Amino acid sequence: MTATLAKENVIGRPIDRIDGRRKVAGAAPYPSDFDLPGQVHAALVSSTIAAGRITRIDRSKAEAAPGVLRVLTYDNAPTLTDPPQNALGSTMRRPLRDDRILHYGQHIGIVVANTRAQAVAAARLVEIEYAEEEPVLDIDDPRAAVEDNPFGMASSRGDVPAALAAADVTVDGTYTIGAEANSPMGLFTTVASWQGGRLVVHDTTQAPSFLRVALAVMFEVPEENVRVLIPFLGGGFGAGLRLWSHTVLTTLAARVLDRPVKLVLSRPQMFHSVGHRAASRQRVQLGADRDGRLTAIDHDAIAANGLGDHLPSPIVAVTPSTYACDNVATHERRAHLNIPFTGFMRAPGAIEAHFALESALDELADQTGVDPVELRLRNYAEVHPVSGKPWSSKALRDCLEVGSERFGWPGRDPAPRSTHDGDQLVGQGMASATFEFYALPCTVRLVVDRRGNATVRTAGTDIGTGTYTITAQLTAELLGIDVDQVRVVIGDTDQPPAPQSGGSGLAGALGAAIQDAASELADQLARLDGHPGESFASLLDRHGLDELEVTGYSDLAGAATHADVAPAGAFAAAFAEVGVDEDLGLIRVRRLVSVIDGGRVFNAKTARSQAIGGAVMGIGMAMLEELAYDPNTGRVANGTFGDYLVPVNRDVPDLDITFVGEPDTFNPTGSKGLGEIGIVSIAPAIANAVYHATGRRIRDLPITLDKML
Amino acid sequence: MTDIEYVRAADQGSALALVAEDPDAVFLAGGTTELDLALKDQVVHPSRFVDIGRLPLRGVTRDGDRLRVAALTTMEELAADPTVRERLPFVREALLLGASTQLRNMATIGGNLLQRTRCRYFRDPDVGACNKRDPGSGCAAIEGVARMHAILGAGPSCIALHASDLCVPLVAMDAEVELLDADGTRTVPLTEFYRTPGDRPDVENVLRHGELVTHVQVPLLPDGARSGYLKVRDRTSYEFATTSAGAAVTVEDGTITWAKLGLGGVGTMPWRAWEAESVLVGAPASERTFRAAAEAAIRDPFTVPGTAFKVELAKRTIVRILRTVTS
Ligand SMILES: Cc1cc2nc3c(=O)[nH]c(=O)nc-3n(C[C@H](O)[C@H](O)[C@H](O)COP(=O)(O)OP(=O)(O)OC[C@H]3O[C@@H](n4cnc5c(N)ncnc54)[C@H](O)[C@@H]3O)c2cc1C
Repeated sequence: MTATLAKENVIGRPIDRIDGRRKVAGAAPYPSDFDLPGQVHAALVSSTIAAGRITRIDRSKAEAAPGVLRVLTYDNAPTLTDPPQNALGSTMRRPLRDDRILHYGQHIGIVVANTRAQAVAAARLVEIEYAEEEPVLDIDDPRAAVEDNPFGMASSRGDVPAALAAADVTVDGTYTIGAEANSPMGLFTTVASWQGGRLVVHDTTQAPSFLRVALAVMFEVPEENVRVLIPFLGGGFGAGLRLWSHTVLTTLAARVLDRPVKLVLSRPQMFHSVGHRAASRQRVQLGADRDGRLTAIDHDAIAANGLGDHLPSPIVAVTPSTYACDNVATHERRAHLNIPFTGFMRAPGAIEAHFALESALDELADQTGVDPVELRLRNYAEVHPVSGKPWSSKALRDCLEVGSERFGWPGRDPAPRSTHDGDQLVGQGMASATFEFYALPCTVRLVVDRRGNATVRTAGTDIGTGTYTITAQLTAELLGIDVDQVRVVIGDTDQPPAPQSGGSGLAGALGAAIQDAASELADQLARLDGHPGESFASLLDRHGLDELEVTGYSDLAGAATHADVAPAGAFAAAFAEVGVDEDLGLIRVRRLVSVIDGGRVFNAKTARSQAIGGAVMGIGMAMLEELAYDPNTGRVANGTFGDYLVPVNRDVPDLDITFVGEPDTFNPTGSKGLGEIGIVSIAPAIANAVYHATGRRIRDLPITLDKML
Repeated sequence: MTDIEYVRAADQGSALALVAEDPDAVFLAGGTTELDLALKDQVVHPSRFVDIGRLPLRGVTRDGDRLRVAALTTMEELAADPTVRERLPFVREALLLGASTQLRNMATIGGNLLQRTRCRYFRDPDVGACNKRDPGSGCAAIEGVARMHAILGAGPSCIALHASDLCVPLVAMDAEVELLDADGTRTVPLTEFYRTPGDRPDVENVLRHGELVTHVQVPLLPDGARSGYLKVRDRTSYEFATTSAGAAVTVEDGTITWAKLGLGGVGTMPWRAWEAESVLVGAPASERTFRAAAEAAIRDPFTVPGTAFKVELAKRTIVRILRTVTS
């Protein structure tokens, strides 16, 4: 065991998850697995209207029900401080603030009882009367309050109107995407307990460090008195990136009762309590010359937001950096509606933008007769189109070329409706994409003991993507030890602060911090006069030390602002083949090839799993998923997995997934984030394939069978 | 919170008595419908579950040209039965296209006939207006999100769909249901077992309280007949039918001499397409005939914006299955 970079090729190896055995054995505690001594159970009271005011609340029946300990509603609950804004944008309106109802299913009370069943039953006994108003549910509703996206999405370079007017060829398309539920398998849970002035909360959060700050502010306690624990999370996809009201209410109930309180959301509640991908409408206008070279892009988007909520989740932010084009303008608005709060959902904004852009590119290919792959190569951004700086890495060309080859794209007959197979029309489509990672500052603590074993500690969590495993791999390689000599302690805010697991940024931020810690360790070893090849044991022995502790830090977002390269996100290209039974409107994906440039891949197996998951979710987005709101009440009308459809195995063909590219030159560990890129190009590739199969351009997701009739 | 009593019936007699004596008691077979409604959705409020799961009402016997299926036979067991495979292939297809393997291993044939609608307005206790749950309260689905809803048999009081796949070929084949209560047994044709909602959507069939379904009898296909079941849905499996059709026909010298047609995904009850059958029998097995049959089958639909597309889709589903079984 040496203190230099001896163990090579640990990074990248497709090793099994180091937490895999615990997970399959049921030994990995998810939030809902935590039970504390003396714990009682909570259930939520939810509004059954979408807009208006509460005029009367009668808690008496609920309070008298068996086992009930407390019923809290806005008129009898202690007042909380408003949560602060954080790096991910505004936090939501705090619960129980007043009598206003902003959406159906709004949490307007919490009932605590000895058992969960008692709490659930009593929650139904809280009598509420409302003064109901007509809800505004649709972005096209003229009554909707519309504002420019407050996070400044308007951008412009060149002269778009002039370029559009002068273009040989133009495309003008409007693209709509239905709201998509984010309802991960693990039911979101909060187990809160106050121990004196100290709060310990197990919560399904992807951003433990943010949650800690928010709870500290809301409950007016010092940050160090709040401990958030989330060692294992049963699926996040962005749903766990915001502060949600059930977490606050459970924490409040625990404080009021001075007992540990546990709340597990029901499946239907998951559909309106933890955010969703906002419904959106986009208009893309392209101008190009006869050879398909882009001369203008105008991208306008409007997306739904909850009332009183301001989630950035920008759609058009990515547009200026996609293609080499001199004239680009973007605009984005928000329509505030009586809908449950929106959230982040895998590749938020970018995926919407790419559906519109990549569909429009396909229309341009069709009009100019330029092959869709060639069209993207002709408009390839060799340098960052906004800053003009060289990319820190970009292998999108490889994505396109390798994908084209693996799929067998060359030789495809470009004419729509050119291929039949029995009752099916067969079509092939493709799309490319980029997804920029978002990495906030990260701190890790690294301890090495006499046996050469290392422990890495940080607050960030593993949402199932493999953070435990790649942390161990990175540490093992950098320290020259074996993976099983590394202990990873994460998901605990008593550890050093870390960014959210989201925005494809954690692996990069964490990796850079671990690398920083490793070089700090190397410095210490040098100071301790370590000989090359000397074991930690011998070194520590010589100095009479039990262990060495170092801290590592990274701030990639900060570094990005003064980098002389343009920090690149991941890139991808997807190629899809669909069969369409036109008579019955049935679409089936027959083949899917996805090629990804994610920079350096830390673990080929977990990376592939992310790409697979992205592809499956992309199929769902393209063909199945849409949250439906009852037009009269604003109630989520399909809030169960029997009604809200996600793909099953049979909807997913064999997936051909390949990684290309080189280690990124900006990010110290060379990675670019893999959690989201895998979904971004899937839906447009499928929609383009549907066009090629049938000659029908569906600009509205999901492409359910009724839209094909 | 109300407690629900759970009793496992030791024999048929006590099962009947345990339900008959309490107007709020229900039979519990596989539980895949009942437990969802009572425990998860909490839209039905039984006082007692009488578990009939261990009664000796399981298995399939052949009686000449009929099959007699005991009510507690599971969907998987019936699908695996050799006679069903050979002589009622579309029953097998309908079974295997339904639910999931796990559910089919629990779900019984009797329970499948009596499964409740998937209407999400019916299944959500926070929805006030549901004539099926609360007669006279109205129907929220009519102005709501209605995609998995009925267009045949439906009316202003209720558009809830009977979502069974199995019942489509059964109703086409003139299956009969054997019922038992303290007064004895009776046999009811499946085509007369269900009721359209009318002004009483809460009454779905002719079953009396405490009456047990003991068997389902299904005539086998005549020699030379061919059958098929087509289920149309967005998701390739584990989804209820958007539309479906089960057809059985005999064609002699290009002419259809015998035809049975049932429809799913469109009716408030498993739908027998009588009018279509009369168009088919005696007519040439041609596209024109199939289309005429489809038009006859979907006459006077009751649609709402969400279900309007089903009118054409159901017709195309019929045409496709007829083409398949005659080619
Ligand atoms: C997620 C899901 C997906 C499904 N998908 C499909 C599908 O695609 N196609 C399809 O056809 N079905 C589908 N089903 C429905 C399923 O087939 C039925 O739930 C099942 O057949 C019911 O049988 P069971 O034995 O579980 O009935 P139970 O739930 O036990 O009972 C259902 C009802 O019938 C009564 N009952 C049961 N047996 C008798 C009897 N012998 N005599 C009198 N009364 C009786 C009960 O009192 C109860 O009211 C699905 C169900 C679920 C939950």
